[in-house]
Amino acid sequence: MPAFFRLRIVRDLAVALIVVFGVGSIAMLLAHVSPIDGFSALFDGAFGTTSEFAETLVSATALLFPALGIALAFRAGLFNIGAEGQLVLGGLAAGVAGVFVPGPPIVSIVVTLLAGAIAGGVWGGIAGFLKARFGANEVIATLMLNVIAALVATYAVDGPLHFATANEGETPLLAHTAWLPTIVPDTRLTISIVIALALAFALRFVFNRTVFGFELRAAGEAPEAARRSGVDLSRIALLAMTFSGAIAGLGGATLVTGVLHRFNTGLSPGYGFVAIAVALVGNLEPIWIAVAAFAFGILQNGALSMQAEANVPRDIVNVVEGLVIIALAGRRYVASRRST
Amino acid sequence: MSALVAALIALAGLTLIKATPLIFAALGGVLSERSGVVNIGLEGIMIGGAFTAVCVSGATGSPLLGAIAGIFAGAALAALLAFVATRLAFDQIVAGTGLNIVALGGAAFGLVLVYGQPGASHEVPAFGKTGEAVLTVLALVLAGALSLFLNRTPWGLRIRACGENPRAAASAGIDPLQTRFWSVVAGGAIASLGGVYLALAELDLYSDGMTAGRGFIALAAVIFGRWTPFGATGAALFFGFFSALQYTLQRVGIPSELMQALPYLAALVALAGLAGRVRAPASDGIPYVAEAVRSR
Repeated sequence: MPAFFRLRIVRDLAVALIVVFGVGSIAMLLAHVSPIDGFSALFDGAFGTTSEFAETLVSATALLFPALGIALAFRAGLFNIGAEGQLVLGGLAAGVAGVFVPGPPIVSIVVTLLAGAIAGGVWGGIAGFLKARFGANEVIATLMLNVIAALVATYAVDGPLHFATANEGETPLLAHTAWLPTIVPDTRLTISIVIALALAFALRFVFNRTVFGFELRAAGEAPEAARRSGVDLSRIALLAMTFSGAIAGLGGATLVTGVLHRFNTGLSPGYGFVAIAVALVGNLEPIWIAVAAFAFGILQNGALSMQAEANVPRDIVNVVEGLVIIALAGRRYVASRRST
Repeated sequence: MSALVAALIALAGLTLIKATPLIFAALGGVLSERSGVVNIGLEGIMIGGAFTAVCVSGATGSPLLGAIAGIFAGAALAALLAFVATRLAFDQIVAGTGLNIVALGGAAFGLVLVYGQPGASHEVPAFGKTGEAVLTVLALVLAGALSLFLNRTPWGLRIRACGENPRAAASAGIDPLQTRFWSVVAGGAIASLGGVYLALAELDLYSDGMTAGRGFIALAAVIFGRWTPFGATGAALFFGFFSALQYTLQRVGIPSELMQALPYLAALVALAGLAGRVRAPASDGIPYVAEAVRSR
């Protein structure tokens, strides 16, 4: 069985690579750019210099958090499409908390990150509650909550949470004590990557070695059998969505404390959606998800220089990522599903 | 008093305007789901329809040709989903989510290629106010036609059979895969009209994010309308009313972002309130795999 598992991941990676290079090449030809020039600009932008490589890792980290959150929910058979909204509100909460929380850096950072995780957890928890209490379809609920989250964030930073010292659409700079320390000088690569990787290992332990992890999988793969053997499916739905949202919210908070040092309504260029592809390519297994996040980080960051230097619009990366999601939709993620 | 009446009439008119794209998308969703395929990609299909319609209208000078091209684009995107959802028996939710991302990215990519700028296209020949009214009427007529089609024709019966019990349908000589495929494609063509309406009737250009989650509201409208064409249309009008309300309430001084959130909140509440009390087609969302293949 383990050999088969590994084989499937290899096969899926091959599919993903074919989509990336095949569709990428076609798109570059459409843009009248030689695929060789396009891809070399992409990889040059992702690996060319220390700071470019650091940015690739920054992108990978930004994807890893929501992807881990998504994997947690998917394992329980819950399609959390709402990582984007959870991430944005996590960032907003961190952006506000980071301005006010005084004290030594360790306190300031922990409180700020916690604020993000709580906000994301609440936002995910709403969908979980609606699912647990009323049986509301979490796919559509999280899609609605994404739109509402974006509107709430815009309203908050320009309305009641507007600071005289901030521009439109953003909060003021965080107190320096709330900034995550960098691990490579003069780059934006901070300890957030360490936090993300530690989280990946922690989740691997939770998924494979704890009762909760087993219940998650049971709820996802055989809900009826799980229910009969005493697993409270409502509780699992609420907890899974809350934790899933909290992880995405933590990711938003690390973007605020580590990368931008303030909340901005443009905080996420769709990390929460790309992360779905990351989680699927990683086969919902935390360590593989980290590998997949690195691969998508290359795409995400390399696309910027592909656009600047080879004149290929970077949006093609989204097309490729969407196609990867479709190509990997063949796996069986949930035992059975209903529409309401 | 007459001012109040005028305001109410204006609100009713605005409701129809705001509901029309939702009606198209929701009807497309109904057709698809009654055959057993959940179409999360409605949003992407609207985007594809809107973008293609604008490009072709701009190139040919004819909004009608643009609209036709938009319909084909929507059908083509739906065909991709239909193929993986039927022949390949892929997960419909995951594939539909991917489709939305593909369409959004593809339109953004196309904008730069065709118009040399990100964000929005140039203005192109459009239908204007008359077209807006014609399309609104078309949406309502289509609701009636789809209702008749689903409930009163043999094809409609076959489609419903595939959504309820594809195995029984197959033993009665119906090909569930074919039936589902064409239902999804036709549903995509209908839903794309929602995008065409936004791009060539309400406006005269394509801009990134112009569909603003309407395809997702349409999904809620399908459930709220209990998977019937008239029900979904009623639900679309209900959500359209909340969209219209935001323009009225904005003048009272309630912040615009909160007002914009109204239809989404309404959809969320409706979703929670109705869940468990409505019944989806029994095989909605479940891939059909023929016996011979299954036993492999």
